[in-house]
Parts: sequence; structure tokens; C-alpha cells
Amino acid sequence: MANISTRFFGLDLQSPIIAGSSSMTGHAEQVLKLAEAGAGAVVLKSIFEEEIFAELQEELSMRSGLNSDPEYLDYFDYVIKEDTLRKYLKLISEVKAKTTVPIVASINCVSSSEWTLFARKIEEAGADALELNMFITPSDPAKSNDSSENFYLETIQKVLHVVKIPVTVKISHYFSNLAGMVQKLAATGVAGIVVFNRFYNPDVDIESESVVVADVLSTSHDYLLPLKWTGILSGIVDVDLAGTSGIHTSETAIKFLLAGASAVQIASVIYPSGASVITKMNREISDWMDKKGYKTIDEFKGKLSQKTSSAQAWERTQFMKYFGEKAFK
Amino acid sequence: MSTNKEYLQNEREKEWRVELRKKIANKERTAKERVRMNEMDPFERIKYQNREVNLGLTAEQAQAEAARCLDCPNPTCMEGCPVSINIPKFVKYIEAGQFLDAAKALKETSALPAVCGRVCPQEKQCESTCFYTQKMKKDPVAIGYLERFAADYERESGFMSIPEVAPSNGIKIAAIGSGPASLSFAGDMIKLGYDVTVFEALHEIGGVLKYGIPEFRLPNKIVDVELNNLKKMGVKFVNNFIVGKTVSFDDLKAEGFEAFFVASGAGLPRFMGIPGENYNGILSSNEYLTRVNLMNAASDEFDTPVIRGKNVAVIGGGNTAMDSVRTAKRLGAERAMIIYRRSRAEMPARVEEVHHAEEEGIEFINLANPIEYFADEKGKVNRMRVQRMGLGEPDASGRRRPIVLEGSDFDIPVDLVIVAVGVSPNPLIPSALSDLKVSKWGTIEVGEETMQSSIPQLFAGGDIVRGGATVILAMGDGRKAAENMHEYLQSKHQ
Repeated sequence: MANISTRFFGLDLQSPIIAGSSSMTGHAEQVLKLAEAGAGAVVLKSIFEEEIFAELQEELSMRSGLNSDPEYLDYFDYVIKEDTLRKYLKLISEVKAKTTVPIVASINCVSSSEWTLFARKIEEAGADALELNMFITPSDPAKSNDSSENFYLETIQKVLHVVKIPVTVKISHYFSNLAGMVQKLAATGVAGIVVFNRFYNPDVDIESESVVVADVLSTSHDYLLPLKWTGILSGIVDVDLAGTSGIHTSETAIKFLLAGASAVQIASVIYPSGASVITKMNREISDWMDKKGYKTIDEFKGKLSQKTSSAQAWERTQFMKYFGEKAFK
Repeated sequence: MSTNKEYLQNEREKEWRVELRKKIANKERTAKERVRMNEMDPFERIKYQNREVNLGLTAEQAQAEAARCLDCPNPTCMEGCPVSINIPKFVKYIEAGQFLDAAKALKETSALPAVCGRVCPQEKQCESTCFYTQKMKKDPVAIGYLERFAADYERESGFMSIPEVAPSNGIKIAAIGSGPASLSFAGDMIKLGYDVTVFEALHEIGGVLKYGIPEFRLPNKIVDVELNNLKKMGVKFVNNFIVGKTVSFDDLKAEGFEAFFVASGAGLPRFMGIPGENYNGILSSNEYLTRVNLMNAASDEFDTPVIRGKNVAVIGGGNTAMDSVRTAKRLGAERAMIIYRRSRAEMPARVEEVHHAEEEGIEFINLANPIEYFADEKGKVNRMRVQRMGLGEPDASGRRRPIVLEGSDFDIPVDLVIVAVGVSPNPLIPSALSDLKVSKWGTIEVGEETMQSSIPQLFAGGDIVRGGATVILAMGDGRKAAENMHEYLQSKHQ
């Protein structure tokens, strides 16, 4: 039986299948189920600074009838954040006490002071690593590329300055020079980069003519964009990569490993299939490796990356002759 | 005491009021300027922790100000008063020169007029709904100053009136905590003939009025006079007594107490949870003010003096922050600073307190938020890092939301930091009663109209219900709870 252990988050993982951050990983019981099913690591549900703000708004709205002293309303600025953090830190220590599988905390903040504050507390609570779930919506035309990019880099540096646990970063593909940016991120000293963040998306209902919430879960075809960039980036940056979005089968997971990822993060597929999908994927990866004669993941990791295969295969973006030669009804 | 429309109308139509209205034409009344409070000189007053800043009005000033009041047929000012003081009645008594009657009118519905006249945010309550403010866009009648005048006059006259008390009905009830909500509750219940005992955990009666509000704003002797009034009416006070620890509710029930009013306040200090907050020299406003106000910590002759900083930063923008920073100034701070993350416009403190603080040389560093503290080799704070904030869109409280300005961090040398970012409800009572329904923030849940909790014989009000309330709102809760507990007990005894 092949050895499917790998390394990501600067940690040795028993499997390349990581349970990614999702609503499931916000509950101790489910985190433990995922760990028992054989996950290489479990990334806890992200703490979102924006979520804390939304809760604050809800509380303030409820308080209007009570004529609360505004001094007391100020107090909620602090207490809601503290309460959210306290629950999160409790989750970390609770699951850490019950499993040896690495537990990774995940945070998404707006300001760099909050990123560093949360990071310190998370380290104190005993998390094995920290994933920075970073994203600034590039929708402000007045903001320069540099200011956004510098925010990422400076925030990471500040976090790295205050914690000793490994720090990884989960990013989106919204950068004008993605490869250049990933290289800069790698140079900060992060222990890995996850491509790409999956976002809440709006959709349009044409009957009610309103903006609605799009399907939240990924489909099994969503993996192509992160796979492409794993192939391109793994050849040019010196940092561990993990792919995520649309990875529903062991076959897709193997594609990422071949493209150069050290691991993959899965979430959507666990909702319908349960934690056992991790056990199944682990077994199928091992079977495939046996069939191919690979004893370790390192033997084939990055075998098809841009560095070792055709650059054009990964970088081609136009269909050219492909559709031109296809017939239609 | 009833405050319904018919009663108010009858009072207004009494001969003396009608005559008084005729004496001065409304045009003449409205042409008068609002009186200015007499104040102690800022340079002089900062030398004393226990000398009051506001000196009160003279009788002439008070009568002139009272004459501005139009004695409206529909006194909208009363809508802004949580304890429904008959405002036109007491104001007109002042105009008529019958100051003792004015004080008596105040005591019909308020157990603490001298206190309210000093610490109520009148600009947000009665004065905000005064005819002058609402219809004429002019400075309102100085209701707060007049309230203080009447209460002070009565006290200094030596002719303190004691409100009438109904014959005893023999029903024992308890109030837990001795702050404004409890005192107001006790005042109403004793008038109705109940056997009222107020239990206080600290060694002094008065709750936040004593431990929280410095003497330069509310002298303890003023509070004591009001407490003595309640004692004379028959209210019993037991201090150094923690209900839920010293004895249980069951013990009190066994002693014959039939109902309880919990007003145990919000005395659990909060911190920001930022790095370095545990260094020496960083303390909560609760600790700082309680030690200075109640434990003589400002005096070096006592065993546990408080730290006297030269560069003192107070974090927060409410009245507690103002009280702390002004106390620090009086204790010798060369640089006493308010550090608040929102702008001046969003500061929750009373306008008068901010104005007084400014006069006293307090430095306001607005739109700034502490993010870390640093210490010397002995672990004593010597520097704080602050980040600049901007203002975003208004949040659900209507105030603009503070937003971090990245890269704007700067350091301020400090040797004393007082954190005044709010307090949590006192957890003692909720933890002693498993059947008591509490919110996720630890406040006791009560019916909005009745103040009755999930335990029928237990009513609650003030900060333990609201989380944070002004003195007068807490007093309003006490009155509402008294009315409903009375109804509950009467139906039980029928």
C-alpha cells in the first residue's frame, strides 16, 4: 500500500486530502468526524470580521427599543468580537484535546490590526497552523493595484511577526499579475498558498427580476481554473501549493498532485457524501499509486507542472481551432 | 402619584398657576435668555477631587429661568422624563418663589431629585422635548438646573419634607443592589406600605452613584441626604451583604420575603483583549473610580493608594471615561488624554461633561484606537500604540462606523491607562438562579411593560436588564417594577 502522506502548512500530513474551511468545520463533533475519516488536516470555519460587524448591527438594531445608553452600545463593539473569538478559541482547544490530526484555524479580517490580534489568540489556543483567508474585492476604481497588493503583503508580514505557528494564505485569482503576486506572497515566508478561494456569489432570478444567492456548493467542473494555475505556479514559485474548488473525486485530487500541488482542500463534496468520502479518496489515491508503481506522493508530485511539461498546455487561453472544427446541429 | 392628563390639567388650572401665567406675557417669557450655570473656575477646581464643578443657581437666577417656562397645556417635557416628574408644576412653584413646594412636587415621583438634577442627560430627555426645543428651536428651559436648585434649596433650608407613606401592609419585599433603580423602587414601594429592605454588596449604599460618579460631579453627601430620606420613610438598608452568596434566595424567602427587585447593575469590567493589556499601570475605570470614590485611594494616608500617572490615557468616550480622565487630572496628571475610536460627534458622554473636561485641559485624541501596550523592564506600561480611524457609513445605532486607516499607527508615552470601554452585567444573581432567563449577554430578561422576570416573584431593572442605562432610565425601571410588583402582590393576597 502506497504512502499517501504529504507536507502542507509546514506540517507532515497523513493524507493530501484536507477538510477545507466550511460551515461543517465550525462544530467540534464534525471536525472530529472528518479527522477520524482520515483527513490530512482540518481547517476550521473562518472567523470573518465582517460577520462580527453584521452581528453587531443586529444587536444594535434590537437595542433601539431599550433606549440603551450609547456608552453601552459602544461596549458591543468590543464584546461581540470577544465573544466570537472566545467561542472560536474554545473550539480549537476542544478539538485539539481529542485528535492528533493537525487543526488549522482560518481568519478573514478587514484591518491588519485585527488580523494580528486574532492570529496571536489563535496561536495561544493551540492551533497547529493558521490559514489567512485573504480577499479584497477589487471593485473600487479609485484603489491602485499596489495598495491592494501591499495590504496583502504587509498584513502577512505583520502576522508572521507575531506568531510562530506556520501561516498559509488562501487567495483568489483576482490579481493583475497573479504569478508575480504569488511569487511575492511566497517570498514573505508563508508555509503554503491555497488556490483559489471560493466566494459567495450573487445570481439573478429572471422571474422575480431580483438578485439572489447563487448555489453555494461547487460542482465537479469547478476545479479547472485552480488546476490550471496550480500547473503554472508550481513550476515557478518555491512554496507548497494546495488546490481547492470543485475537487469531488480522488481522480481530481490526483490531477492536482500531478500538476504540482502538495495537497487539496475539499468541502462541497462532503455535504452530500459525508466524511466517509475522505476515507474513499484516500484509498483510491493509494490504489492508483499502487497501480502506477508510486510509493510516495513526492515521486509524482508536479510531474505535469509547467516546469516539466509543455508551457503552452497550461498557458493556452484561446480555443482557436478547437471549436472552429466542431460541427453543430 | 398619578400623572394622567386629567390630573395634570386639574393641577394646571389651580388658581395660583392661572394667576402666575397671567403675570408675564408669553412673548416676554420667550424673549428671556436661558440661564447659565455658575461654575467653579477650571484652574481652581482641578485641584480638588471632591469639590463640585457646578455651583447651582441663585434663587433669583432660578426664578428668572422658571419664568421662561410657558406652563404648556400639553407639557411635552414630561414625555421625555422616565419617572414622569410633573415638570411644569415644580417649575412654576419656583417661579412663584415657593421653593419647598417645588421640592415636594419633585418627590411625588422621584426619589432622587438632587441626584437627577446633577447627572441626568437632560439634553437628551426632558429638555429635548421642551416646547422651546421642539417648536421654537431655542434653548430649552433649564429643567435640570431648576430640579437641582429646588432639591438643594430644600436640603439647605433644614425643612426636608418626607413623602407620605401608606400604613404598613406587612408584606416583606427586597431590593438587591442599592443604585438608582433600587432606590427609586424602594421609594415607591415604601409609599405603598410595603416592608422594604435593600441589600447592598459593598460597604456603602448608593451603588453607581457612590462608586461610579466622582464627587466633583455628584458629592456623596448629596446622595446621603436622599438615602436618609428613604430611611426616614422606613426603607431598611443592609450593606456588606451579597444575595446569592451571603444567603440564598431560598433563605430570604424563608425569612418571609415575598418578592424581589433585582438591580445588581453592570459592574463587571471589560477590557479590549489587545496585547500588553495585563501590564502594570493598566486598569479598568471601574477599579480606578471605585478606589478613588469609595476607598480613599486618592489619599496617600490610606494603605492602597491608586497609581498617579503623569501621562494618563483613558480609553473610551462615555461619561465613565470623562469621570476617569477628570479624576486623573485632579490627581496630578500633566497630560490627561481621552482616546476614542469615533469622532467628537459620536461620543456618548454628556455634552456638559465634555465641555467641563475641555475647560480643565483634557486632551481629546479622537478617531484613534489602541492596538498594543508596551512596558519597561519591570512590566510597568510606558507606551501605547494607537491606530488612526476614519469614519464609514452610519451603523445600526445611527453613528458613523469607525474604520481603520492602515499604516497610521503611532505611539504615545503613557504611565497610566484606564480602560473605560464598558462593563458587563453582574453575573452573581443570574448564576444563583438556574430558572432565571438571561440573555446571551448576561442581562436578565423581563417583560418590557412589567419588568417581571421568568421567575414570577422576581422583577428586575436598571443595568442588569438594559446592560447600560442612564441613572434616570434605571429609576424609571424601578418605578415600573414597583407598580407591577404591587399589582402582582395585591392579586396574590386577595
